[in-house]
Amino acid sequence: MKSSPRLAVSGLLLALAAGFAGAPAAAQGTAASPSTPAEMVATYSSLADGILALKRTEEDLVRSILAAANAHAQVELGRAQRAIAAGDPKAAQSALEGLAADVGQIATEGDNAVGAVRKRLLDGGHHHNAAGEAQGIFDEGFVIVTRAAKAKLLESSRAIGQMARAPKADSLEAEWRKVQAIVPGLLKAGK
Amino acid sequence: MTRWPRVVAAGLAFGLAAYALTREAPRVLSAPPEPPFRFVDVAAKAGLTRVLLSGRPDKDHLLDSSGGGVAFLDYDKDGRLDVYLVNGWRLQDGRVVERGRNALYRGLADGTFRDVTDEAGVGGEGQWGQGVAVADYDGDGWPDILVTNFGRNGLYRNLGNGRFENVAARVGVESPGWNTGAAFFDADGDGDLDLYIASYIDCTLESVLDAKRTLSWRGLENVAVGPFGLKGAPDHFFRNVGGRFVDATAEAGLVDKGLGFGFGVRAADFDGDGRPDLYVANDSDPNYLYRNEGKGMFKEVGTWAGAALDENGAAQASMGIAVGDVDGDGILDLFTTNFSEDFSTLYRGVGDGLFEDVSKASGVGPATYRPLSWGTAFADLDNDGDLDLVVANGHIYPQIDRHPELIGTYAQRNLLLENRSKPGAPAFADVTAESGPGFQQLRSSRGLAVGDFDNDGRLDLLISALDEPPVLLRNEGPAGAWITVVLEGKHGEPDPIGATVTLRAGGTSQSRDVAAGDSFLSTHDPRPHFGLGAARVVDEIDVRWPDGTHSVRRRVPARQFLKIRYGS
Repeated sequence: MKSSPRLAVSGLLLALAAGFAGAPAAAQGTAASPSTPAEMVATYSSLADGILALKRTEEDLVRSILAAANAHAQVELGRAQRAIAAGDPKAAQSALEGLAADVGQIATEGDNAVGAVRKRLLDGGHHHNAAGEAQGIFDEGFVIVTRAAKAKLLESSRAIGQMARAPKADSLEAEWRKVQAIVPGLLKAGK
Repeated sequence: MTRWPRVVAAGLAFGLAAYALTREAPRVLSAPPEPPFRFVDVAAKAGLTRVLLSGRPDKDHLLDSSGGGVAFLDYDKDGRLDVYLVNGWRLQDGRVVERGRNALYRGLADGTFRDVTDEAGVGGEGQWGQGVAVADYDGDGWPDILVTNFGRNGLYRNLGNGRFENVAARVGVESPGWNTGAAFFDADGDGDLDLYIASYIDCTLESVLDAKRTLSWRGLENVAVGPFGLKGAPDHFFRNVGGRFVDATAEAGLVDKGLGFGFGVRAADFDGDGRPDLYVANDSDPNYLYRNEGKGMFKEVGTWAGAALDENGAAQASMGIAVGDVDGDGILDLFTTNFSEDFSTLYRGVGDGLFEDVSKASGVGPATYRPLSWGTAFADLDNDGDLDLVVANGHIYPQIDRHPELIGTYAQRNLLLENRSKPGAPAFADVTAESGPGFQQLRSSRGLAVGDFDNDGRLDLLISALDEPPVLLRNEGPAGAWITVVLEGKHGEPDPIGATVTLRAGGTSQSRDVAAGDSFLSTHDPRPHFGLGAARVVDEIDVRWPDGTHSVRRRVPARQFLKIRYGS
């Protein structure tokens, strides 16, 4: 079942190729230099539309992953702030650890399960930001989060994790400001 | 005239004094100080001669170059360490030429070993061996041996009469696949040992036999494919339910979500809450730190705890693990060995189970950048009261030797880094060159275990190497004073897993835990060993037993094996 779209496309291309090969020599002309059959170009162009659309879809999906983690982070932040204000260290610890995990997941564009998907894509030769990777801007397979943003977010994730056992409202606010200096830019479409 | 000689004498004296001031003070002739480390390979002399097979010479598949683990244990409880070696297969032209047999060597009083594999019945049943973890899983007072395999695992139950029986199928831990590192630990605090087994790649024997070197490595050589491009195999957690092991991976929150290429596994109480946590080294994937939440439940916290990635946020190709308090601040630190041309990573514990990567600042990173590293341990090898770091090295591509322009060779020197830390500031210096002939050997090393096989108070090293017999590095250095604690658990079991020994001597404090499963697919001597420097007496020894109770000894003389029984 998985391979049926691939088979359909291959079938179409083979049919086109067969049609081209079967055309009479006179119809192909003798003097003009050979050109790629228009049908093949058109099909390839359609395929390109699909490939590029898929790439945009991938970007949208990863952005959704980031947005979901960010939304969850906002909830945890609120919980943490309320718990700190109420002097409830246990609740604050739990919320801060949740927040640290969320920020970590923004940094890594998802959890380990997403990492496994990314690994599959890389294994298959798909690099969403091949040029960016070559320039050292993106880590391998990353779609939206740049290497620099990742490093800062990981640092914030660890810093928030460290706060969990001794939570302080002002330190949390300062660290969260650092996170929010980065995340909205990542969530903006059409970067 | 009469004054002339006096003037001459005064001038001469002045001249000599001036000359002396411009020159370096004359050196007192004495022997140069003896280097603190000296290791000599005595494996052959001691009778450890089993060749450890490892696939094909050209290493066409990663299984050909993963090697195997080693263990120090005392299976017959005679007070002398025995040795267990895990063996692989030899392949040629797509077929199996020889199935290597694992080896159990009994330690003898004269420091040599006798091969007792056959009489003990622990040869491995023809499986391709990977790792070894030793623990008394059934609480009958005798250490048992778990062997992880490419294939079905073996669990050799010690019958107490020099013989073992393989009960893996009966107790439910055969778990076919490419099993690698394993650790026994009491995950749920119910008093018995549970088990975590990591897995590497999802592949079949046919794919191993048919493997071709098709991965172009730097455009220079075709080498074995992977691990990228291959599918990771899931790790498993087994809960001990009345002596049977039940797969409780999902229930315990230990699902290997990333299908990481798992190698080393180590259980330890990283956050100091009295419950064992779990660390898994993944090759080319983020490492896992599973925090024990109580009641046998775990949460993966590696990323935000700072132990999953390196300081740049990159996943590394991790192989082995060492755990210990290297800077004397009372908090466990963590070390992972990695691929060549990348730092092996020292994560300093900052408390509450959180870590920071201090590889660069500590000197560990630069010292480990060139080799491809595997087995490892923190151990006080000069008995000066701090933990040194030893690392086993060897490349996976023999083809590298055809390219002197590349960094590294297939056979490599192992590394010894001396601890020069200050509290809260880990620091290590590479002393390999001054550590005796044992550290100058070139091999493609893999498994590594630390243990005092000759009971002289100095820790020795057992190291496996591909397609060769093991190396047994006897410690012949001018070590300081020491004490080794021999623990006997609640039910008379030796070396209760999860016990922690904390010692105070000479104004400093040190601690060690007892673990089954460590390093790279290996298990160390379970007896907590402490170097004491010049101290003659230990002020206090505090044993925290796995159930949280304590035994304390005070004013204990150094240089002895001190036995402490539970409840005493």
